Amino acid sequence: MAILSIDKLNKRYEKFHLKDVSLSLDKGYIMGFIGINGAGKTTTLKSMLNMVHADSGVVQILGKDYTDHEIELKKEIGLMFGDMQYYEKMRVKVVTDVIKRFYPNWDDAVYDDYCRKFNIDQEKKISELSQGMKAKYNLALALSHNARLFILDEPTSGLDPAARDGLLEIFQKLVEDGEKSILFSTHITSDLEKCADYITYIHEGEIIASATKDDFIDSYKLVKGSEDQLEAEIGLRKKLIACKTNKFGFSGLMKTADCEERDGLTIEAPTLEEIMIYYAKKESAHV
Amino acid sequence: MYNLLYKEFRLAIHPLYYFLPVIFGALMLIPQWFFFLVPLYFCFITVPQLFSMYKSNNDLEFSIMMPVRKSDIVKARILSIIILELFQIVWCVIFALINRSLYKYGNFAFDLNAAYFGLVFVMFALFNIILFPIFYQTAYKFGVAVIISIVAAIGFALSAELLVMFNERFRMVVEGKPGPQLIILAAGMVLFVLSAIAAYKISVKNFEKVDV
Repeated sequence: MAILSIDKLNKRYEKFHLKDVSLSLDKGYIMGFIGINGAGKTTTLKSMLNMVHADSGVVQILGKDYTDHEIELKKEIGLMFGDMQYYEKMRVKVVTDVIKRFYPNWDDAVYDDYCRKFNIDQEKKISELSQGMKAKYNLALALSHNARLFILDEPTSGLDPAARDGLLEIFQKLVEDGEKSILFSTHITSDLEKCADYITYIHEGEIIASATKDDFIDSYKLVKGSEDQLEAEIGLRKKLIACKTNKFGFSGLMKTADCEERDGLTIEAPTLEEIMIYYAKKESAHV
Repeated sequence: MYNLLYKEFRLAIHPLYYFLPVIFGALMLIPQWFFFLVPLYFCFITVPQLFSMYKSNNDLEFSIMMPVRKSDIVKARILSIIILELFQIVWCVIFALINRSLYKYGNFAFDLNAAYFGLVFVMFALFNIILFPIFYQTAYKFGVAVIISIVAAIGFALSAELLVMFNERFRMVVEGKPGPQLIILAAGMVLFVLSAIAAYKISVKNFEKVDV
Protein backbone atom coordinates (compact mmCIF):
# COMPACT_ATOMS: atom_id res chain seq x y z
CA MET A 1 0.00 0.00 0.00
CA ALA A 2 1.29 3.45 -0.90
CA ILE A 3 1.92 5.51 2.21
CA LEU A 4 2.62 8.53 0.03
CA SER A 5 1.56 9.30 -3.49
CA ILE A 6 2.05 12.52 -5.39
CA ASP A 7 0.28 13.01 -8.68
CA LYS A 8 1.17 15.74 -11.15
CA LEU A 9 2.27 18.40 -8.69
CA ASN A 10 2.91 21.75 -10.39
CA LYS A 11 4.28 24.97 -9.04
CA ARG A 12 5.39 27.81 -11.25
CA TYR A 13 7.75 30.54 -10.13
CA GLU A 14 9.14 33.27 -12.30
CA LYS A 15 12.38 31.41 -12.99
CA PHE A 16 11.55 27.88 -11.94
CA HIS A 17 8.81 25.43 -12.75
CA LEU A 18 7.97 22.25 -10.90
CA LYS A 19 6.49 20.19 -13.71
CA ASP A 20 4.04 17.33 -13.16
CA VAL A 21 5.94 15.82 -10.26
CA SER A 22 4.60 12.34 -9.50
CA LEU A 23 5.94 9.65 -7.20
CA SER A 24 4.70 6.88 -4.98
CA LEU A 25 6.24 5.36 -1.86
CA ASP A 26 5.09 2.09 -0.30
CA LYS A 27 5.06 1.15 3.37
CA GLY A 28 8.35 -0.10 4.75
CA TYR A 29 10.68 1.46 2.22
CA ILE A 30 13.22 4.25 1.99
CA MET A 31 13.06 6.48 -1.05
CA GLY A 32 15.97 8.71 -1.92
CA PHE A 33 14.91 11.93 -3.54
CA ILE A 34 17.92 13.18 -5.42
CA GLY A 35 18.87 16.06 -7.60
CA ILE A 36 21.47 18.80 -7.72
CA ASN A 37 21.06 22.02 -5.76
CA GLY A 38 18.13 23.99 -7.16
CA ALA A 39 16.61 20.97 -8.94
CA GLY A 40 13.36 21.35 -6.98
CA LYS A 41 13.71 18.89 -4.09
CA THR A 42 12.75 21.28 -1.28
CA THR A 43 10.08 22.96 -3.43
CA THR A 44 8.52 19.55 -4.04
CA LEU A 45 8.51 18.71 -0.34
CA LYS A 46 7.13 22.11 0.63
CA SER A 47 4.48 22.00 -2.10
CA MET A 48 3.32 18.54 -1.09
CA LEU A 49 3.04 19.71 2.53
CA ASN A 50 1.08 22.84 1.58
CA MET A 51 3.83 25.10 2.89
CA VAL A 52 3.88 26.64 -0.55
CA HIS A 53 0.75 26.63 -2.65
CA ALA A 54 0.96 24.19 -5.51
CA ASP A 55 -0.73 25.34 -8.71
CA SER A 56 -2.15 21.86 -9.27
CA GLY A 57 -1.67 18.25 -8.26
CA VAL A 58 -2.91 15.72 -5.73
CA VAL A 59 -1.03 14.49 -2.68
CA GLN A 60 -2.26 11.46 -0.76
CA ILE A 61 -0.78 10.28 2.50
CA LEU A 62 -1.96 7.03 4.14
CA GLY A 63 -4.65 6.90 1.46
CA LYS A 64 -6.16 10.28 2.40
CA ASP A 65 -6.11 13.52 0.46
CA TYR A 66 -3.55 15.75 2.14
CA THR A 67 -5.32 19.05 1.52
CA ASP A 68 -8.54 17.78 3.10
CA HIS A 69 -6.88 16.10 6.09
CA GLU A 70 -3.80 18.28 6.57
CA ILE A 71 -3.85 18.58 10.38
CA GLU A 72 -4.69 14.92 10.95
CA LEU A 73 -2.01 13.72 8.51
CA LYS A 74 0.67 16.07 9.80
CA LYS A 75 0.44 14.23 13.12
CA GLU A 76 1.50 11.07 11.26
CA ILE A 77 4.51 12.73 9.64
CA GLY A 78 7.97 13.21 11.05
CA LEU A 79 9.38 16.29 9.37
CA MET A 80 12.97 17.35 9.28
CA PHE A 81 14.40 20.18 7.27
CA GLY A 82 18.16 19.87 7.59
CA ASP A 83 19.12 23.49 7.07
CA MET A 84 16.53 25.03 9.35
CA GLN A 85 17.15 25.65 13.01
CA TYR A 86 14.58 26.91 15.46
CA TYR A 87 14.84 28.44 18.88
CA GLU A 88 18.53 27.66 19.06
CA LYS A 89 19.03 29.39 22.40
CA MET A 90 16.38 27.39 24.17
CA ARG A 91 17.05 24.24 26.14
CA VAL A 92 16.21 20.89 24.58
CA LYS A 93 13.70 20.08 27.32
CA VAL A 94 11.85 23.37 26.83
CA VAL A 95 11.52 22.91 23.06
CA THR A 96 10.38 19.33 23.59
CA ASP A 97 7.84 20.47 26.18
CA VAL A 98 6.34 22.80 23.57
CA ILE A 99 6.43 20.39 20.63
CA LYS A 100 4.99 17.34 22.41
CA ARG A 101 1.74 19.19 23.14
CA PHE A 102 0.92 19.27 19.43
CA TYR A 103 0.90 15.48 19.13
CA PRO A 104 -1.82 13.41 20.80
CA ASN A 105 0.19 10.23 20.15
CA TRP A 106 3.23 11.55 21.99
CA ASP A 107 4.93 8.95 24.18
CA ASP A 108 7.27 10.28 26.88
CA ALA A 109 8.76 6.85 27.54
CA VAL A 110 9.73 6.45 23.87
CA TYR A 111 11.20 9.96 23.82
CA ASP A 112 13.27 9.34 26.97
CA ASP A 113 14.44 6.05 25.53
CA TYR A 114 15.64 7.60 22.25
CA CYS A 115 17.29 10.51 24.05
CA ARG A 116 19.22 8.04 26.20
CA LYS A 117 20.15 6.00 23.13
CA PHE A 118 21.25 9.11 21.19
CA ASN A 119 22.90 10.70 24.25
CA ILE A 120 20.84 13.88 24.00
CA ASP A 121 21.31 16.02 27.08
CA GLN A 122 17.98 17.67 27.96
CA GLU A 123 19.69 20.53 29.74
CA LYS A 124 21.73 21.62 26.72
CA LYS A 125 20.69 24.47 24.50
CA ILE A 126 19.85 23.48 20.92
CA SER A 127 22.79 25.57 19.70
CA GLU A 128 25.15 23.51 21.88
CA LEU A 129 24.25 20.31 20.02
CA SER A 130 26.49 19.26 17.14
CA GLN A 131 24.93 18.95 13.67
CA GLY A 132 24.72 15.18 14.13
CA MET A 133 23.11 15.53 17.54
CA LYS A 134 20.59 18.03 16.18
CA ALA A 135 19.62 15.57 13.47
CA LYS A 136 19.26 12.84 16.09
CA TYR A 137 17.21 15.13 18.33
CA ASN A 138 14.85 15.88 15.44
CA LEU A 139 14.58 12.17 14.79
CA ALA A 140 13.86 11.48 18.46
CA LEU A 141 11.04 14.04 18.29
CA ALA A 142 9.58 12.48 15.15
CA LEU A 143 9.86 8.96 16.56
CA SER A 144 8.21 9.88 19.85
CA HIS A 145 4.95 10.91 18.24
CA ASN A 146 4.74 7.63 16.35
CA ALA A 147 5.15 9.13 12.91
CA ARG A 148 4.56 6.67 10.09
CA LEU A 149 6.02 8.71 7.27
CA PHE A 150 9.30 10.53 7.62
CA ILE A 151 10.00 13.39 5.26
CA LEU A 152 13.59 14.39 5.65
CA ASP A 153 15.10 17.20 3.64
CA GLU A 154 18.89 16.92 3.47
CA PRO A 155 19.11 15.27 6.91
CA THR A 156 22.74 14.27 6.44
CA SER A 157 24.13 17.47 4.97
CA GLY A 158 26.77 18.99 7.21
CA LEU A 159 27.37 15.74 9.10
CA ASP A 160 30.72 14.00 9.35
CA PRO A 161 30.99 10.52 7.77
CA ALA A 162 30.63 8.70 11.10
CA ALA A 163 27.52 10.67 12.09
CA ARG A 164 26.08 10.14 8.59
CA ASP A 165 26.64 6.44 8.78
CA GLY A 166 25.07 6.30 12.23
CA LEU A 167 22.01 8.14 10.99
CA LEU A 168 21.64 5.87 7.97
CA GLU A 169 21.69 2.83 10.24
CA ILE A 170 18.88 4.37 12.27
CA PHE A 171 16.88 4.95 9.08
CA GLN A 172 17.31 1.32 8.07
CA LYS A 173 16.18 0.09 11.50
CA LEU A 174 13.21 2.42 11.36
CA VAL A 175 11.66 0.81 8.30
CA GLU A 176 12.40 -2.75 9.43
CA ASP A 177 8.92 -3.29 10.89
CA GLY A 178 7.39 -2.63 7.46
CA GLU A 179 5.06 0.05 8.82
CA LYS A 180 7.13 3.18 8.42
CA SER A 181 8.56 4.81 5.31
CA ILE A 182 11.13 7.48 4.66
CA LEU A 183 11.33 10.02 1.87
CA PHE A 184 14.80 11.34 2.08
CA SER A 185 16.06 14.18 -0.09
CA THR A 186 19.76 14.60 -0.55
CA HIS A 187 22.51 15.36 -2.97
CA ILE A 188 24.93 13.09 -1.12
CA THR A 189 24.27 10.06 -3.25
CA SER A 190 26.64 7.74 -1.40
CA ASP A 191 24.15 7.80 1.48
CA LEU A 192 21.51 6.39 -0.79
CA GLU A 193 23.76 3.68 -2.20
CA LYS A 194 23.82 2.41 1.39
CA CYS A 195 20.20 2.60 2.42
CA ALA A 196 17.67 3.55 -0.25
CA ASP A 197 15.25 1.06 -1.78
CA TYR A 198 13.87 3.50 -4.32
CA ILE A 199 15.33 6.48 -6.10
CA THR A 200 13.42 9.43 -7.46
CA TYR A 201 15.56 11.71 -9.52
CA ILE A 202 14.50 15.30 -10.12
CA HIS A 203 16.18 17.58 -12.60
CA GLU A 204 15.16 21.15 -13.41
CA GLY A 205 11.80 20.66 -11.71
CA GLU A 206 10.98 17.46 -13.61
CA ILE A 207 11.08 13.87 -12.42
CA ILE A 208 13.53 12.04 -14.69
CA ALA A 209 12.93 8.66 -13.07
CA SER A 210 11.32 7.07 -10.03
CA ALA A 211 12.22 3.41 -9.65
CA THR A 212 13.94 0.89 -7.42
CA LYS A 213 17.57 1.79 -6.88
CA ASP A 214 18.80 -1.17 -8.93
CA ASP A 215 16.41 -0.51 -11.82
CA PHE A 216 17.36 3.14 -11.76
CA ILE A 217 21.07 2.41 -11.96
CA ASP A 218 20.49 -0.36 -14.52
CA SER A 219 18.65 2.06 -16.79
CA TYR A 220 21.88 3.96 -17.44
CA LYS A 221 25.27 2.95 -18.76
CA LEU A 222 28.58 4.69 -18.63
CA VAL A 223 30.27 4.43 -22.02
CA LYS A 224 33.99 5.01 -22.42
CA GLY A 225 36.15 5.06 -25.51
CA SER A 226 38.63 7.03 -27.55
CA GLU A 227 37.87 10.38 -29.08
CA ASP A 228 38.17 8.85 -32.56
CA GLN A 229 35.44 6.35 -31.70
CA LEU A 230 33.21 9.18 -30.54
CA GLU A 231 33.57 10.85 -33.91
CA ALA A 232 33.56 7.64 -36.00
CA GLU A 233 30.58 5.85 -34.47
CA ILE A 234 27.53 7.22 -36.23
CA GLY A 235 24.87 8.47 -33.87
CA LEU A 236 26.90 7.74 -30.72
CA ARG A 237 27.21 11.37 -29.61
CA LYS A 238 23.48 11.91 -30.12
CA LYS A 239 22.62 9.06 -27.82
CA LEU A 240 24.81 10.30 -25.00
CA ILE A 241 22.98 12.31 -22.34
CA ALA A 242 26.23 14.16 -21.75
CA CYS A 243 29.88 13.37 -22.24
CA LYS A 244 33.27 14.42 -21.00
CA THR A 245 36.30 14.35 -23.24
CA ASN A 246 39.99 14.58 -22.46
CA LYS A 247 43.20 13.52 -24.15
CA PHE A 248 42.63 9.88 -23.16
CA GLY A 249 39.22 9.73 -24.78
CA PHE A 250 35.63 10.27 -23.76
CA SER A 251 33.20 9.00 -21.18
CA GLY A 252 29.49 9.59 -21.38
CA LEU A 253 26.17 8.59 -19.88
CA MET A 254 23.62 6.81 -21.98
CA LYS A 255 20.22 5.25 -21.41
CA THR A 256 20.59 1.45 -21.31
CA ALA A 257 17.87 1.17 -23.95
CA ASP A 258 20.02 3.20 -26.36
CA CYS A 259 23.17 1.28 -25.59
CA GLU A 260 24.46 -1.46 -27.85
CA GLU A 261 27.75 -3.32 -27.77
CA ARG A 262 30.28 -1.73 -30.04
CA ASP A 263 33.83 -2.77 -30.66
CA GLY A 264 36.34 -1.05 -28.49
CA LEU A 265 33.87 0.74 -26.26
CA THR A 266 33.85 0.05 -22.53
CA ILE A 267 30.41 -0.11 -21.01
CA GLU A 268 30.08 0.15 -17.24
CA ALA A 269 27.36 0.58 -14.65
CA PRO A 270 27.37 4.16 -13.40
CA THR A 271 27.05 5.23 -9.77
CA LEU A 272 24.18 7.47 -8.65
CA GLU A 273 26.65 10.30 -8.41
CA GLU A 274 27.79 9.81 -12.00
CA ILE A 275 24.20 9.85 -13.23
CA MET A 276 23.62 13.11 -11.40
CA ILE A 277 26.85 14.67 -12.64
CA TYR A 278 26.17 13.85 -16.29
CA TYR A 279 22.64 15.26 -16.08
CA ALA A 280 24.05 18.43 -14.53
CA LYS A 281 26.58 18.56 -17.36
CA LYS A 282 23.79 18.24 -19.90
CA GLU A 283 22.12 21.24 -18.33
CA SER A 284 25.27 23.36 -18.38
CA ALA A 285 25.90 22.38 -22.01
CA HIS A 286 22.56 23.98 -22.87
CA VAL A 287 23.37 27.24 -21.10
CA MET B 1 -4.71 26.86 19.20
CA TYR B 2 -4.00 26.55 22.92
CA ASN B 3 -0.73 24.75 22.10
CA LEU B 4 0.32 27.59 19.81
CA LEU B 5 -0.48 30.12 22.51
CA TYR B 6 1.63 28.07 24.91
CA LYS B 7 4.43 28.16 22.31
CA GLU B 8 4.16 31.96 22.12
CA PHE B 9 4.57 32.42 25.86
CA ARG B 10 7.07 29.61 26.48
CA LEU B 11 9.32 29.95 23.43
CA ALA B 12 8.64 33.05 21.36
CA ILE B 13 8.30 35.78 24.00
CA HIS B 14 11.34 36.39 26.17
CA PRO B 15 10.47 36.76 29.89
CA LEU B 16 11.86 40.32 29.78
CA TYR B 17 8.72 41.35 27.92
CA TYR B 18 6.51 40.28 30.82
CA PHE B 19 8.52 42.59 33.05
CA LEU B 20 8.84 45.61 30.75
CA PRO B 21 5.15 46.63 31.06
CA VAL B 22 5.79 47.11 34.80
CA ILE B 23 8.79 49.37 34.11
CA PHE B 24 6.91 51.30 31.43
CA GLY B 25 3.90 51.54 33.72
CA ALA B 26 6.08 53.13 36.41
CA LEU B 27 6.66 56.05 34.02
CA MET B 28 3.13 57.06 35.04
CA LEU B 29 4.70 58.39 38.22
CA ILE B 30 6.47 61.23 36.38
CA PRO B 31 4.63 64.37 37.43
CA GLN B 32 3.20 66.49 34.64
CA TRP B 33 3.87 64.51 31.48
CA PHE B 34 2.42 63.37 28.17
CA PHE B 35 1.09 60.08 29.50
CA PHE B 36 0.22 58.68 26.06
CA LEU B 37 3.95 58.08 25.77
CA VAL B 38 3.71 55.26 28.33
CA PRO B 39 1.61 52.81 26.25
CA LEU B 40 3.46 54.07 23.17
CA TYR B 41 6.70 52.66 24.62
CA PHE B 42 5.09 49.25 24.23
CA CYS B 43 4.68 49.99 20.51
CA PHE B 44 8.18 51.52 20.21
CA ILE B 45 10.14 48.82 22.04
CA THR B 46 8.27 45.60 22.85
CA VAL B 47 6.59 45.02 19.49
CA PRO B 48 9.61 45.53 17.17
CA GLN B 49 11.78 43.47 19.52
CA LEU B 50 9.28 40.61 19.56
CA PHE B 51 8.90 40.58 15.78
CA SER B 52 12.66 40.61 15.39
CA MET B 53 12.93 37.59 17.70
CA TYR B 54 10.22 35.69 15.83
CA LYS B 55 12.25 36.17 12.68
CA SER B 56 15.66 35.29 14.09
CA ASN B 57 14.26 32.14 15.71
CA ASN B 58 12.57 31.01 12.48
CA ASP B 59 9.31 30.96 14.37
CA LEU B 60 7.21 30.86 11.22
CA GLU B 61 8.96 27.75 9.90
CA PHE B 62 8.70 26.15 13.34
CA SER B 63 4.98 26.85 13.60
CA ILE B 64 4.13 25.77 10.07
CA MET B 65 5.74 22.36 10.67
CA MET B 66 3.39 21.66 13.58
CA PRO B 67 0.01 20.07 12.88
CA VAL B 68 -1.92 23.35 13.03
CA ARG B 69 -4.05 25.52 10.78
CA LYS B 70 -2.49 28.64 9.32
CA SER B 71 -5.38 30.64 10.80
CA ASP B 72 -4.51 29.34 14.27
CA ILE B 73 -0.91 30.54 13.88
CA VAL B 74 -2.28 34.04 13.24
CA LYS B 75 -4.83 33.78 16.05
CA ALA B 76 -2.24 32.74 18.63
CA ARG B 77 0.16 35.49 17.57
CA ILE B 78 -2.47 38.26 17.70
CA LEU B 79 -3.90 36.96 20.95
CA SER B 80 -0.48 36.82 22.62
CA ILE B 81 0.31 40.43 21.66
CA ILE B 82 -3.14 41.57 22.79
CA ILE B 83 -2.62 39.85 26.14
CA LEU B 84 0.67 41.76 26.50
CA GLU B 85 -1.10 45.01 25.55
CA LEU B 86 -3.75 44.38 28.20
CA PHE B 87 -1.00 43.56 30.67
CA GLN B 88 0.59 46.90 29.80
CA ILE B 89 -2.74 48.70 30.31
CA VAL B 90 -3.29 47.00 33.69
CA TRP B 91 0.09 48.24 34.92
CA CYS B 92 -0.68 51.70 33.54
CA VAL B 93 -3.92 51.68 35.57
CA ILE B 94 -2.10 50.60 38.73
CA PHE B 95 0.52 53.35 38.41
CA ALA B 96 -2.10 55.88 37.32
CA LEU B 97 -3.94 55.24 40.59
CA ILE B 98 -0.70 55.75 42.51
CA ASN B 99 -0.07 58.95 40.50
CA ARG B 100 -3.53 60.26 41.38
CA SER B 101 -2.99 59.61 45.06
CA LEU B 102 0.51 61.13 45.07
CA TYR B 103 -0.07 64.37 43.18
CA LYS B 104 -2.85 66.76 44.11
CA TYR B 105 -2.92 68.74 40.86
CA GLY B 106 -4.26 67.65 37.49
CA ASN B 107 -1.93 67.08 34.55
CA PHE B 108 -1.05 69.92 32.14
CA ALA B 109 -1.72 67.56 29.22
CA PHE B 110 -4.19 64.62 29.12
CA ASP B 111 -5.21 63.69 32.65
CA LEU B 112 -5.06 60.13 33.94
CA ASN B 113 -8.74 59.22 33.98
CA ALA B 114 -11.24 56.82 32.42
CA ALA B 115 -11.35 58.80 29.15
CA TYR B 116 -7.57 58.56 28.87
CA PHE B 117 -7.73 54.77 29.14
CA GLY B 118 -10.62 54.69 26.65
CA LEU B 119 -8.42 56.51 24.16
CA VAL B 120 -5.47 54.21 24.97
CA PHE B 121 -7.70 51.30 23.90
CA VAL B 122 -8.50 53.19 20.68
CA MET B 123 -4.79 53.81 20.10
CA PHE B 124 -3.99 50.09 20.45
CA ALA B 125 -6.99 49.27 18.22
CA LEU B 126 -5.51 51.51 15.52
CA PHE B 127 -2.03 50.05 16.06
CA ASN B 128 -3.24 46.44 15.77
CA ILE B 129 -5.44 46.90 12.72
CA ILE B 130 -2.47 48.29 10.82
CA LEU B 131 0.34 46.11 12.22
CA PHE B 132 -1.02 42.59 11.77
CA PRO B 133 -2.61 42.75 8.30
CA ILE B 134 0.51 44.37 6.81
CA PHE B 135 2.84 41.93 8.57
CA TYR B 136 0.88 38.91 7.37
CA GLN B 137 1.28 39.95 3.74
CA THR B 138 4.71 38.30 4.03
CA ALA B 139 4.68 36.86 7.59
CA TYR B 140 8.37 37.73 8.00
CA LYS B 141 8.99 41.36 6.91
CA PHE B 142 7.96 43.46 9.88
CA GLY B 143 9.72 46.80 9.30
CA VAL B 144 7.06 48.55 7.22
CA ALA B 145 4.20 47.14 9.34
CA VAL B 146 5.82 48.35 12.56
CA ILE B 147 6.73 51.82 11.22
CA ILE B 148 3.29 52.56 9.76
CA SER B 149 1.45 51.31 12.85
CA ILE B 150 3.71 53.28 15.20
CA VAL B 151 3.30 56.48 13.13
CA ALA B 152 -0.48 56.01 13.24
CA ALA B 153 -0.44 55.45 17.01
CA ILE B 154 1.77 58.53 17.54
CA GLY B 155 -0.52 60.59 15.30
CA PHE B 156 -3.53 59.53 17.33
CA ALA B 157 -1.84 60.16 20.71
CA LEU B 158 -0.51 63.53 19.60
CA SER B 159 -3.94 64.64 18.41
CA ALA B 160 -5.51 63.65 21.73
CA GLU B 161 -2.85 65.48 23.76
CA LEU B 162 -3.02 68.63 21.57
CA LEU B 163 -6.81 68.69 21.65
CA VAL B 164 -6.82 68.56 25.43
CA MET B 165 -4.28 71.36 25.63
CA PHE B 166 -5.78 73.69 23.05
CA ASN B 167 -9.48 72.82 22.76
CA GLU B 168 -11.40 73.75 25.87
CA ARG B 169 -14.60 71.99 24.80
CA PHE B 170 -12.75 68.70 24.27
CA ARG B 171 -11.05 69.12 27.64
CA MET B 172 -14.43 69.64 29.28
CA VAL B 173 -15.67 66.34 27.86
CA VAL B 174 -12.65 64.16 28.66
CA GLU B 175 -11.82 65.70 32.01
CA GLY B 176 -15.31 66.70 33.16
CA LYS B 177 -18.08 64.49 34.55
CA PRO B 178 -17.47 60.74 34.90
CA GLY B 179 -20.40 59.83 32.62
CA PRO B 180 -18.85 60.88 29.28
CA GLN B 181 -15.48 59.54 30.45
CA LEU B 182 -16.96 56.10 31.10
CA ILE B 183 -18.70 56.17 27.72
CA ILE B 184 -15.34 56.90 26.06
CA LEU B 185 -13.77 54.03 28.04
CA ALA B 186 -16.50 51.58 27.02
CA ALA B 187 -16.38 52.72 23.39
CA GLY B 188 -12.59 52.34 23.41
CA MET B 189 -12.85 48.79 24.72
CA VAL B 190 -15.46 47.87 22.10
CA LEU B 191 -13.29 49.35 19.34
CA PHE B 192 -10.27 47.45 20.67
CA VAL B 193 -12.14 44.13 20.44
CA LEU B 194 -13.62 44.91 17.01
CA SER B 195 -10.20 45.93 15.70
CA ALA B 196 -8.65 42.68 17.00
CA ILE B 197 -11.32 40.60 15.24
CA ALA B 198 -10.92 42.56 11.99
CA ALA B 199 -7.10 42.40 12.22
CA TYR B 200 -7.34 38.62 12.68
CA LYS B 201 -9.67 38.14 9.72
CA ILE B 202 -7.66 40.28 7.30
CA SER B 203 -4.36 38.78 8.50
CA VAL B 204 -5.62 35.22 7.96
CA LYS B 205 -6.71 36.16 4.44
CA ASN B 206 -3.28 37.62 3.72
CA PHE B 207 -1.36 34.77 5.37
CA GLU B 208 -3.25 32.07 3.43
CA LYS B 209 -1.66 33.46 0.25
CA VAL B 210 1.88 33.36 1.66
CA ASP B 211 4.32 30.65 0.54
CA VAL B 212 6.46 29.84 3.57
